[in-house]
Amino acid sequence: MIPLLVALPLLFAFLTLLLNAFRVRDGLRRALFVLGILSPWPIFAASISQLPVSTVVGGWERISGIEVALNDYNYYFVLGELIVFSLVGLYSVGYFGAERTAGHPERDFTSPYIFSLLLLLHGGILGAFVSSDLFNFYVYMELASLSSIVLVACSREPGSRRAAYRYLMLYLLSSFFFIFAIGIIYVKTGYLNLHLIQQNLVPSQEVHMAVALMAVSLMTKAGIFPLHFWLPGAHSKADTPVSAVLSGIVVKVPLYGMILLLSYLHLEFMKNPLLVIAFSSMFFGIAMALLQDDAKKLLAYHTVSQMGFVLLGVATLDVDAAIFYAFAHALFKSGLFLGVGVLVSAQNTKSLDLLSYRGDKMVMAAIIFLSLAIGGISPFIGAFCKQQLLSNLHGFGVYLFYMAGVGTLVSFIKLNYKLLQPTKEALSLPALEKIIAAALAALTLIFGIYFYPQLDHRDIILILLAVALFFALRHVGLLRRQIPRFFEPTVRDLGREINLYTGVYVLVNLAVLFQLLY
Amino acid sequence: MIESITGGYLTSEVAGIILVLIGLYGLMTKSNLVKQVLAINVISTGVVLYFTKLGYVEGGTAPLIPSEVMVDPLPATLMLTALVIDVAITSFALALIMRMEGSP
Repeated sequence: MIPLLVALPLLFAFLTLLLNAFRVRDGLRRALFVLGILSPWPIFAASISQLPVSTVVGGWERISGIEVALNDYNYYFVLGELIVFSLVGLYSVGYFGAERTAGHPERDFTSPYIFSLLLLLHGGILGAFVSSDLFNFYVYMELASLSSIVLVACSREPGSRRAAYRYLMLYLLSSFFFIFAIGIIYVKTGYLNLHLIQQNLVPSQEVHMAVALMAVSLMTKAGIFPLHFWLPGAHSKADTPVSAVLSGIVVKVPLYGMILLLSYLHLEFMKNPLLVIAFSSMFFGIAMALLQDDAKKLLAYHTVSQMGFVLLGVATLDVDAAIFYAFAHALFKSGLFLGVGVLVSAQNTKSLDLLSYRGDKMVMAAIIFLSLAIGGISPFIGAFCKQQLLSNLHGFGVYLFYMAGVGTLVSFIKLNYKLLQPTKEALSLPALEKIIAAALAALTLIFGIYFYPQLDHRDIILILLAVALFFALRHVGLLRRQIPRFFEPTVRDLGREINLYTGVYVLVNLAVLFQLLY
Repeated sequence: MIESITGGYLTSEVAGIILVLIGLYGLMTKSNLVKQVLAINVISTGVVLYFTKLGYVEGGTAPLIPSEVMVDPLPATLMLTALVIDVAITSFALALIMRMEGSP
């Protein structure tokens, strides 16, 4: 049953491409796309009752086949993926029709392929989430990320191709190191199946080195601080539905890989470097987000910061906290991208000084709800996840964690403060897209009440503190500071950027490996 | 002949790792985008060479006909998948570079 979860979206991806070649009517192609997006639901629903399940594809022995499973580790990842992708799929049916062909239908040569690419992405992500085999995980992760890189390159935004190139290069580099490390694990244990690796693993310096290499590669793919360069560009230049999927789900695939490393291989020896990286990612993301003037870039930098929170769960060796935070982040970040995206396409600007949600109550409520959710205010889902993360921290870590929480709130108060400004003309927003953003906001509330049905009074203090801090920062003028540009937007400087990023990647690898010696 | 020079230390695994390092050097120093794609390809070749050696057994034959000593086919199979991904990525990267010239 579980292999079908992956096979159906891939089949529909092929069919949409085929229908495109036969020049079939547009409506039929869209219907097929929606069918493909929704197709894994019945299989998922049928498998829930008998959790945990695992099968080896083709009925082989575990030792020679590829195992797929649906268990406690990936249940919430798959659920989050299905929820977000279904809603984003419906959103993109409207988005890629009206928006892109307006005025110039003959120039729109990418739209027909986008549906197919989104379905490939859907299948790739699901495949990575269900596989219990290292190499299979790698192949599906590659499928997912390649489709997302092509989707970024399809965007009309100036600079989207440079962003796609940056994404591609960093991605490839880390992929090769990842596969190199898989080779070391294979030599040491003789298997690629995670259960068999766990049974046959004898901890040694080589195994630790391989795990460290894998961890650094996965952190690059997840866009965690010292290796985040590709993320803000790619996530902010992509089309709105693509941004929502990228920030909501695609970055969770490597983090799921981290969770696999934590639960099947050993990651305890990397606890301290991971803690440092997680906290620095949290604060760096917030600091950069505070300085942004571009609404989508602000959200993209928050992804860097939020990935730090998920990594904190991994670093404190608490698998559940990481899983729930990843699930929560998938819901609220995709909702925020869709909500802000509705405004961006209606008002045709991304600048925070010009955008406004004053004219539309539904979008306004959705964005405020989602901002509270990402800030970790009860009873939204963020509060539950923050409680879980907080329970593993002691002493200094607790204060840092609260500071990061307040920082996130300050940044979202800035977003809402800017969006509250009055507009000159009345807004007319597409109904379906508004409802989808509101649905994600409602889901964060529903899941929050389901997981953690209580109100925390300390949250009010946090909000007041954040408001005070926001106005203080605004008064000082820190929020308007220009960020110096190190690279010009030319092809030559793009090459230099890649040189620098490769250097940083190598340095981080060396630092982590060096730490292993002591 | 080569073994007598290197004293047996230069196995294909080491050669693979050296290729990876050469590719990294290229990525860190060349700002021409096409050269960067080539450097990535050098890294991939290094990884493929490394993997192919992993499955090699001294004096082994291809595991088609049952015999005493056979090489491990799995690493080579994995590399087949990795090579297919490489080809697709290289063509995409080159197309991206072509489209980037001129447009912002």
